[in-house]
Amino acid sequence: MLVGIDVGGTTTDAVLVEGNSVVKAAYVPTDHDDLLKCLLGALDELVKDVDTRKIERVVLSTTLITNMIAEGKTDPVALVLIPGPGTNPKDYNLGEACILDGAIDYRGREIDRLKESQIKEAASKISAQGLARIAVVGKFCQRNHAHEQKVGEIMRAALPGAKIELGHRVSGHLNFPRRAATTLLTVATKDKYREFAQAMADALRQRKISAPVYILKADGGTLPLDSSVQMPVETIFSGPAASIMGVLALTPAGQTSVIVDIGGTTTDLALILSGKPLLSSKGAKVESLLTHVRAFAVKSVAIGGDSAVDVSDERMTVGPQRKGPAFCMGGPCATPTDAMRVLGLTSVGDAARAEKAMQEVANKLNCSPKEAAQKIVDAVVDKIVAEVGEMFRAWEQEPAYRIWEIMKKERLEAQNVVGVGGGAPPLVPLVASRLGASAIVPDFARVANAIGAAVARPTITLNLHIDTERGEYIVAEDGLTGKVGDRKMTPEQAEKLARKLLDERAERLGIGEYSGEAEVTYSEVFNMIRGWSTVGRLLDIRMEIPAGLLASWRGC
Amino acid sequence: MSSKGKSGKTGLIFFPAFDWAISPTHPEREERLLYTRDQIFEEGLMDLPQIDEYKPRLAEMLDIARVHFCVPDVESQITEAHLIAAGSTLTLADALESGEIRNGFALVRPPGHHSMRVVHGNRGFCNINNMAILVEYMRSKYGHKRIAVIDTDVHHGDGTQEIFWHDPDVLCISFHQDGHTLYPGTGFVNEMGGPQALARTLNIPLPPGTTDEGIHYVLDRLILPVLDEFKPDLILNSAGQDNHYTDPLANMRFSANGYARLNEKLAPDICVLEGGYAVETALPYVNTGIIQAMAGLDYSHLKEPDFVPGRFVQSEQMSREIEATVAQVQRLWDDRDELVKDALEGLGDFYRRKKRIFYDTDMINESQEETVRLCPNCSGYMTISTQAQRGYGILNSAFCVSIPRKACASCREDAKEEYEEHIDDRRIGYVCMQDKDRDTFKFHNNMTHTQKSY
Repeated sequence: MLVGIDVGGTTTDAVLVEGNSVVKAAYVPTDHDDLLKCLLGALDELVKDVDTRKIERVVLSTTLITNMIAEGKTDPVALVLIPGPGTNPKDYNLGEACILDGAIDYRGREIDRLKESQIKEAASKISAQGLARIAVVGKFCQRNHAHEQKVGEIMRAALPGAKIELGHRVSGHLNFPRRAATTLLTVATKDKYREFAQAMADALRQRKISAPVYILKADGGTLPLDSSVQMPVETIFSGPAASIMGVLALTPAGQTSVIVDIGGTTTDLALILSGKPLLSSKGAKVESLLTHVRAFAVKSVAIGGDSAVDVSDERMTVGPQRKGPAFCMGGPCATPTDAMRVLGLTSVGDAARAEKAMQEVANKLNCSPKEAAQKIVDAVVDKIVAEVGEMFRAWEQEPAYRIWEIMKKERLEAQNVVGVGGGAPPLVPLVASRLGASAIVPDFARVANAIGAAVARPTITLNLHIDTERGEYIVAEDGLTGKVGDRKMTPEQAEKLARKLLDERAERLGIGEYSGEAEVTYSEVFNMIRGWSTVGRLLDIRMEIPAGLLASWRGC
Repeated sequence: MSSKGKSGKTGLIFFPAFDWAISPTHPEREERLLYTRDQIFEEGLMDLPQIDEYKPRLAEMLDIARVHFCVPDVESQITEAHLIAAGSTLTLADALESGEIRNGFALVRPPGHHSMRVVHGNRGFCNINNMAILVEYMRSKYGHKRIAVIDTDVHHGDGTQEIFWHDPDVLCISFHQDGHTLYPGTGFVNEMGGPQALARTLNIPLPPGTTDEGIHYVLDRLILPVLDEFKPDLILNSAGQDNHYTDPLANMRFSANGYARLNEKLAPDICVLEGGYAVETALPYVNTGIIQAMAGLDYSHLKEPDFVPGRFVQSEQMSREIEATVAQVQRLWDDRDELVKDALEGLGDFYRRKKRIFYDTDMINESQEETVRLCPNCSGYMTISTQAQRGYGILNSAFCVSIPRKACASCREDAKEEYEEHIDDRRIGYVCMQDKDRDTFKFHNNMTHTQKSY
């Protein structure tokens, strides 16, 4: 049996999954100040009368990191940058930073030396500021981490007990400011996350649940709780990830679907393209910071069931504000929910109050209350349909750097519109018919998030960079380098090496059983020509276990 | 105008064509923009609020036929990479015109500024002229009249010059390493345009070893004042990067900072990458600098690893030489209207010139006879008779007719007649008609008696 628990905005939901069916669900109200209590409350509710020895896996999707960052409850961090030549670091939105001399180039060669005295000076400045957490990030440190390491060592010696995070361990991708932001967030959340993970592990032990515990990440993958303490920031936005994985589990495999999660104030949109959830192209935006965190592309549209309907000069607007609940639920003004109540699309709230709200709108628009209601619902559907179109267009317009990518980029259209969340059932068929797609509101739509968490498989991404002229390979995130003897190494040989390294990492993370599902998702090779002869090759391989469902669910 | 003072973002199209090369070890190979990618991606430039990245589209055959007489037809002279590189400039043109961006940089390959009006093959790594395609698109779609093309590549922009040779509304300024010492061996001060457009082509040959100081002297004392007087609707930069001090194919000593400063001062509306083959030591830094300058970002932190300010000092003698060239070109510009008047007085109804063009990449020798009608009522129709040879065999021959925008009735009539006269003439392979006024283009094959239109 698999357990999935998702902390949502109002309730924390838990499901018990056996094979491909949901055997039990439980809910408790969410208390944002005590997420551990919510998770355990939902778990206790769920496993009442269940033999906990039969639980094979527990997956948690929490808003811990998201909330911590949103509420500014992260720990203060000193940011130390080694930017080298290029952009003025002030042009990045990273806040105050300590800038060090020293530089590495795109090939990983040292082009400017570190200055030891300057590093020591920076350390004493940090100590004077009373900061005990430090993020050290260098440009191109993923191609050579010697500088970051050296700065780390000196800082560690100068500031005993300080928590130091090095950029290359956080991301091997190109993009220095994103790496700096991600490293910053990692240090800022690590300690509190570790406390949470520890408390969670203890609580499960007390309950005699010995099944492995996983945490859901923003890319829809799971990771063992104890490994996740190294990269807490990857667990942001697990809520939308859980819901997308839930939809993946509850809809036909391989299809293209739009996921519409209609809430009170906003509607969240996401895409599954030919069975693969769409990732945001570069990484998640966390508050004002652009990061390297792999996350599904989710578009939040300011329209929902409680959006305020306003009419002035015979022009009607719906949203973007929410002034309170729907009028039929005792709120202050007319909303789409009232309109749906009048049209018989929903049965929530008080019918008479809904009618009254529509009558008021109708008076201003010189039409009948039913017509007014229809106009409001049309406006909501129009907005959602337009934003869905915009999402597909943005995907089609993602830049490409090779001829074949530009020539081959397909056009996709939605086959399904899948509704999750409270406001979805009445509106999804309307959106679907406008898009010429089938409407799906899955049976377990209410707990889709928890199901998604329960059946999501682990994900892992390994970035291998090989420079055969310099005779070395590097896997930045693992802090791993090695020698390459063959200057003419082929992509096939490089992929073999990547697979071996991925297997080793999966083993270390405790998800070795899944490494067989890894695939090469990106591979490039360039011959280096100097003069008129080939002096070496540059190879970049990305191997990953992408977001997907457990075999036990798919198999049924 | 220039992009200076306009608000909005800088549009960037990065199309490195990582799967296209002239040949595996050619300078124009897959690797050319690899380190540039690494640098600009690592800098996070695309994420900055000042910059918007665009995906390129493919140029249409029509866009190419508007500029070139491709023999035997457009399709046989291009690859998909060419369509994407040319299309990139058009995507930016549309974004500029719609007001989405304030300026744009097509950081794309393959390059184009050595491609001339007639295309039999590849010369100077170029098949079709991206910049000229952009200019003609801007004119026919958006009605721009006066356009200035500043060619900042180290090689003379001979293709662009040739295409706009007779056009007084397109000001072509090229500074480059002296043609005595570098491909394509042209670009001397006396090349200054056709009789109706004299001094609307300006060439500034510079001595090998010219530094930032010399190039900025040319910019400050000549190019910027000339632009002020010409008052173009658009300023376009054919942004080659091989003036750099590390370029393996040329001998100048320009720096990344010098390039950035040049683009800041010039404030081009659109930049299009041309050459530049120091793939590691120059391109990552020069491209970053150009992007920063266009986006109004601080480029003072940008420098090549081995560069120190004051590294290159120009000799007094070199400075005098550059000053003399600038003064000479300045005089031509000042006298431009008189030059045209004098030239036209000495000519009859037609102006003819013969040319030989060598395609270094494809080893083709072309001979041309070009005739322009010096029409008092419009800019006059043009015909080109062209024959291309490879080795001892004749490769192709064609007779090309071009009708200008706003052609007068008599030029249109005569041009049509010329076209029809050559149809099915067995001594000529192809007959081509470029009707810029109606934006329609025909390629007639005299051997198969078939016709293709764009």
